Amino acid sequence: MPIRLTIKMTTRRVLILAPLLLTLILLQSYFWVPTYEQQTRGNPDRLEKYITASIGDASLLNPILSADSASSEIENMVFEGLIDRDKDLRFRGRLATSWKIYEEAFFYVNGVAHVPGQGVLDPAGVAQVIRDAQKAAPPASALKSTLENIVGIQVIPSRQFRTTREGTPAPANRPKKAITLRGQAPARIKLVLHQIDPDLFANLTLLLGRDYFTSFPAQNYLQADGPLGSGQLDGWAREILPAVEHNPVIEFNLRPNVRFHDGHILDAGDVKFTYEAIIAPQNLSPRIADYEPVKAVQVLDPLTVRVVYKRLYSPGFGTWAMGILPEHLLNSEALRREAIRAGKEPANFTMRQSAFNRHPIGCGPFVFREWKSDEYIALDRFEDYWEGPPNYKAFIYRIIPDLLTQEMEFYAGTLDAYGQPPGGVPPYQTRRLENDPRFQSFSGTSFGYSYIGYNMRREPFDDPRVRRALGMAIDVDKIIKYVLYGQGKRISGPFPLQTDYYDRRIAPLPCDPEGALRLLAEAGWKRDAQGWLTKDGRRLQFTLITNSGNDIRKAILAVAQDAWKQIGIDVRTDLLEWSVFIQERVDKHDFDAVILGWSMGIDPDLYQIWHSSQTGPNQLNFVAFQDQEADRLIVAIRQEYNHQRQVDLCHELQKIIAAAQPYTFLFVREWTAVLDRRIVLREVDAAGKGVYKKITPTPTGNIMYDFNKWIKLSEVPNFAVD
Amino acid sequence: MIAFIARSSVQKIVTLFFVSIVSFLIIHLAPGQPSQVDPLNPKFTPEMVARYRQAFHLDQPLYTQYLYFYRDLFTGKTVSWKDNRSVLAKIWERFLKSLPLFIVGTILTWTISFPIGIRSAIARGSAFDQTTTFCAYLLISIPGFFFAYILIIFVVQTFQVPVIGMQTFGLNQSSVTAAVMDRIWHLLLPSVLGATGGIAVLSRYVRSQMLEVESQDYVRTARAKGLPAEQVHYRHALRNALLPFVTMFGLILPGLIGGSVIIESIFSWPGIGRMAYEAILARDYPVILTVNFVSAVLVLGGTFVSDVLYLLVDPRIRL
Repeated sequence: MPIRLTIKMTTRRVLILAPLLLTLILLQSYFWVPTYEQQTRGNPDRLEKYITASIGDASLLNPILSADSASSEIENMVFEGLIDRDKDLRFRGRLATSWKIYEEAFFYVNGVAHVPGQGVLDPAGVAQVIRDAQKAAPPASALKSTLENIVGIQVIPSRQFRTTREGTPAPANRPKKAITLRGQAPARIKLVLHQIDPDLFANLTLLLGRDYFTSFPAQNYLQADGPLGSGQLDGWAREILPAVEHNPVIEFNLRPNVRFHDGHILDAGDVKFTYEAIIAPQNLSPRIADYEPVKAVQVLDPLTVRVVYKRLYSPGFGTWAMGILPEHLLNSEALRREAIRAGKEPANFTMRQSAFNRHPIGCGPFVFREWKSDEYIALDRFEDYWEGPPNYKAFIYRIIPDLLTQEMEFYAGTLDAYGQPPGGVPPYQTRRLENDPRFQSFSGTSFGYSYIGYNMRREPFDDPRVRRALGMAIDVDKIIKYVLYGQGKRISGPFPLQTDYYDRRIAPLPCDPEGALRLLAEAGWKRDAQGWLTKDGRRLQFTLITNSGNDIRKAILAVAQDAWKQIGIDVRTDLLEWSVFIQERVDKHDFDAVILGWSMGIDPDLYQIWHSSQTGPNQLNFVAFQDQEADRLIVAIRQEYNHQRQVDLCHELQKIIAAAQPYTFLFVREWTAVLDRRIVLREVDAAGKGVYKKITPTPTGNIMYDFNKWIKLSEVPNFAVD
Repeated sequence: MIAFIARSSVQKIVTLFFVSIVSFLIIHLAPGQPSQVDPLNPKFTPEMVARYRQAFHLDQPLYTQYLYFYRDLFTGKTVSWKDNRSVLAKIWERFLKSLPLFIVGTILTWTISFPIGIRSAIARGSAFDQTTTFCAYLLISIPGFFFAYILIIFVVQTFQVPVIGMQTFGLNQSSVTAAVMDRIWHLLLPSVLGATGGIAVLSRYVRSQMLEVESQDYVRTARAKGLPAEQVHYRHALRNALLPFVTMFGLILPGLIGGSVIIESIFSWPGIGRMAYEAILARDYPVILTVNFVSAVLVLGGTFVSDVLYLLVDPRIRL
């Protein structure tokens, strides 16, 4: 009995002691943990590391395979492109030291057209007409500059060809099959132009006759091997034998002796390889659309690479900022060896499967060291970097999914930056952090805007006066002030505010409810006895929708609804889950008005969002904006290589869009980022002495522009006077 | 016994089959696209979308996709669409990281709940009972993330030590002990937070079980016999009150793979819950479905273990 009692006593003791003991073990670990003080001030190595944080992890560290922002941030450090943009967003050479942009243009000799004063001409005759005109002073000045721009004329003899297309044979309703086409292409004239000239052929018609190019009978030179459904042959003829063709050419001269991180020297083959990897279908590169207009990439010598485009496509140049891959590590031979080593089937092994994506090697300023999924990615500086190694010894990218813990880590000194652009710190914190003496803060404007888009297929949004009135009823300044805590700017058009493509002379819509009512009255909407706007006995009534999970859009929804109710519009609102919102409503055009945002690049190409050909289901012009003049300008912008002329075209386009008001343009966000105050720029002056300067963002708001010169000091220094 | 195990296994396999179909359908029929296919990116042409769909077999009928997926799963060839890594390897890696959190959390829950629950039951209506009841309801009502933030801010500002991540970032520990202790410290807060809800609920269960058993005739008999109170509570009452908890042990098995999205996100813990959550956001079907399948297996395995445990501990149940 006494023994039994002891056992029962033990049960009780164990029940009480076990949790106490466990708690003690856990709590005592506190005494072993280094404090923040030890990690930051008491640790001299810390000054040579730049530690930043992201809410999400990278996916694949291969610039041609990933498109998410976390991966790109690391790729920008590890890889380097041929070019990038300087402080003023102009292109500057990186791996390329210089480049030349010119054009090769082709047209088929038209065997039926009469050249004014000369009759039908043979190929040599056409070439001679152009040569003669170059010598003689031509009458029209546009033609004169076009002719002066031609530096080479060549006749390409007639050739036979054979090709296949997928088509429907006649009679109709037979299944599609491959159809062989053969024919004899007529002779072609090749013109080499000093500069790209989108107006070349338009101006040549002054010389060769108005319909010289349009009357080229391509279908006469083409035969199919069997009967065909109507219209198909003509379409193919225009595609296979285009009357005229612009082939812009870019020749890059590469920087000599640039090394990859493994010591291998970069050459033109790597550039060509990178292009081929992007267009290879098995790699599923998200960047393939950027390179679709490329006709060929040719290696002229180890340091010269020539890119020929199929058509005028000026956004193509900027795509060469893409990081260059090392061919020797990723070509088919290397991948085959890797597959065999990993025990996988070489036939199914593509670049997507390669271990390279988790251990990238490029020729950028930082060398990849380590990646722990969802913890951190660590990079070391590249001592052989062509521009000289960065000041920081290491770049560390921590993945901290929660903003509050990021903030705590930043205050504690284990992060050097908080609120990276484009997100920035949350708007409500901006004022407090800007005034905090421990930090330096930077602000800038985002590349992206928020808008209310109207479905122009539906009444009453088909009337521009109604759209304008709806925009005028909303006080956007109040939205910026109260919803964004002042962290936003008004806009009047779709171009990035910090570029010169945006025309600042076009003012945003004023907030003028009275004026809005006048416009609506013009459009036939009058207020009835209860104050509702009605026309033909119908109330002005629609639903404004947006996606759930975005508090700012939700607030705009309420503000807009209220503002419109004030002037007598019966507005319903709805919040939908993102994929339902996009797939069921926006993509299927089943909406009246939506609140959405676009994030943009620097390039002013607006084809997908504003061209009238892009209004189908699943396309991005879901508001159905259609305007012939706008279409012309959009196409001209993508074909124009001259910056100033492009800017002029953009200003014209912005004017048309601002007049039509297919969107109510709301605002662009402003971001604020904060950095530790002790981070400065260190440059070496002429005497070889280090000088410190304050970090200043570029005019376009890029703070990381001079990142390679950044360093953290133990104390805030005295800055050199500029 | 063997007959029971055989019958039960067949049932569970049939259930698993239906679970696999239902979860597959739910995930595929839910709106949304894999994040690789970005419908609002101007650079994305329909041809590219078609190519992605083809590469992911999304252009095939659902039953073919189902067969593809489970063929790959059972041959261990499933790869994540996000980064092309083997899903099983990814889950295993994350599982090992979530495991310490789970173990410490579970041990805390079970060791703390029992003494509290038993004490409140024995001293029913006392100040201790009322305090614990109040605390339990408080902990159940406070949202976990809110409690986590309060705790983090309090600890960081008072003690000036890091609490997030699996270990102190950026310092190479001089000794092994220090490194181990550092990891234990980083386990402390997230596992305490993970355990609070459990403690609140479980201690209530323990209390009500104890109360129920304490009112039984045999306990009164034991008391009437003149046994010391200690012996009545811990030998006669507690042992019988424990019965339902033995079976609960099997049911905590699925928690192994669930992880906790909120705790893991707040504490930057690279665990399995966060991975699954991000996979759902990115519609990374192979990862979602594999996690789903593994947890279904664990749930079924857990109920099976419960049944067997019940057989073993309760002599009244015989097959």
